[in-house]
Amino acid sequence: MPSLPSPSAPVSVPTPAAIEVADATKVIDGVTVLDRVSFTARPGRVTAFLGPNGAGKSTTLRAILGIDHLTSGTATIGGRRFHEHHRPAAVIGALLTPDAIHPRRTARGHLSVVAASNGLPRASVAKTIELVGITEIADLEAGQMSLGMRQRLSLATALIGEPAAVILDEPHNGLDAAAIRWLRVVLRQLADSGRTVLLSSHLMPEIELVADDVVVIDRGSIQADATLPEFLSGPDVSLEDRYLDLVGEA
Amino acid sequence: MRTALRGELLKIATVRGQWIGLALAAVAMPMTSLLVAASGGLSPEDTVTSGAATGSLAGLLGFGAWAASVTAGEYSHQTMVVSLSTVPRRTVFYGAKVIAASLTAAAASLASAVLAFAVVYAVTPHSSHRVGSPATLLSVVVAAVAVTAIGVAAGVLTRSSAAAITAVVVLILLPQTAAGLLGGLQPWVVGASPGPVITQVVGNSQLDADQTYPPGTAAAVATLLAAAAGIAVVGGCALVRRDGG
Repeated sequence: MPSLPSPSAPVSVPTPAAIEVADATKVIDGVTVLDRVSFTARPGRVTAFLGPNGAGKSTTLRAILGIDHLTSGTATIGGRRFHEHHRPAAVIGALLTPDAIHPRRTARGHLSVVAASNGLPRASVAKTIELVGITEIADLEAGQMSLGMRQRLSLATALIGEPAAVILDEPHNGLDAAAIRWLRVVLRQLADSGRTVLLSSHLMPEIELVADDVVVIDRGSIQADATLPEFLSGPDVSLEDRYLDLVGEA
Repeated sequence: MRTALRGELLKIATVRGQWIGLALAAVAMPMTSLLVAASGGLSPEDTVTSGAATGSLAGLLGFGAWAASVTAGEYSHQTMVVSLSTVPRRTVFYGAKVIAASLTAAAASLASAVLAFAVVYAVTPHSSHRVGSPATLLSVVVAAVAVTAIGVAAGVLTRSSAAAITAVVVLILLPQTAAGLLGGLQPWVVGASPGPVITQVVGNSQLDADQTYPPGTAAAVATLLAAAAGIAVVGGCALVRRDGG
């Protein structure tokens, strides 16, 4: 198992770019999967985007990236839709699934493609490989990697452009305890450097350690949008209890 | 567009299987031509270049299937999610993909055609066959680019390697196979399909009059390219219109 380097988020200071979702509605085959969803993930903060399976989290994240079209409403980054930005990798980096890597392409090859597609220097590939601690397996094909290693490679894909905002959907999946702790520090560093971090996860104890703001979605509608202390509403209430009270899974 | 194109070329370069598929497509034409020439299958009026082009249909099927498979693989391997979040402008992404696949197929088919020429030249008695026109070999490259663009579009439209490859094979072979059902349209449809276009450029007498494009060979080549461009545009519109991942 490759060792992780000391957490070190990209050092450049980006132009702040809030992620704003406004009245986002998506209807698929007559079923409303997003119903006027509105929230803002702000620069310098880690925003946890929580919800049960099928609540609409991934659909919202894909809509922000323009991978899924909205039926109505808008999703913008820094005031513009994603495809309107000229240097996308510098605006937003995304980890949606660790399986979105060609199984016969090496980690280095994969990141080289992403870098070339955005006009990033070759040095960014080696730098990002080192950042996520996969130097030893950089020339291994993705299909030969464990889920945790592919997750790190996906994180590298999100960070290679040193973006102003990052969207991470279930980034903890497959990570061991050391990598989860490492990711926690990296997320904090990203936010502290002025970046917007939008994070979806089911690991409530982990979210409680890293999140500044909490947005809860259930059955396609926003159920809560508050800072973490406001959401917890008391010193002895855990995020998990408060969340399960809200979505009715207690 | 330039950076997106570089990324698409790197995609091809960084997966060994894609290179192997391309190499197999490139080898198909010289291998078939070798078999025909070595077995005495060339008629006295055939030239070395027309002999080299006898295996072109196998090559075209290979290039079309390669492009279809590479493109549909973006869906089956879920890499389209990363592709569209890296190059979010779908017209730029799709244009870069079509150009990258076409440039690669052009280079490979040119090498394939030259190799086929060399093979036929080596195995046939030099006194019995004229060298022929190099335009024949260039027509193979043009047809390969056309079927590659069609393959990319088929990959986007079907999102399935099997379906995309089948679509390409049907588009290449069906016009000649179903020629009898086309009635008066037969020379217009068959004459502008990839295989007969090359045969018309070769200029030999293998093709019946009702499979020869009425306005002439240059128009047949132009029509093939226009049809391929039209199909490629349909693929691009589908990608822009629907959800990408």
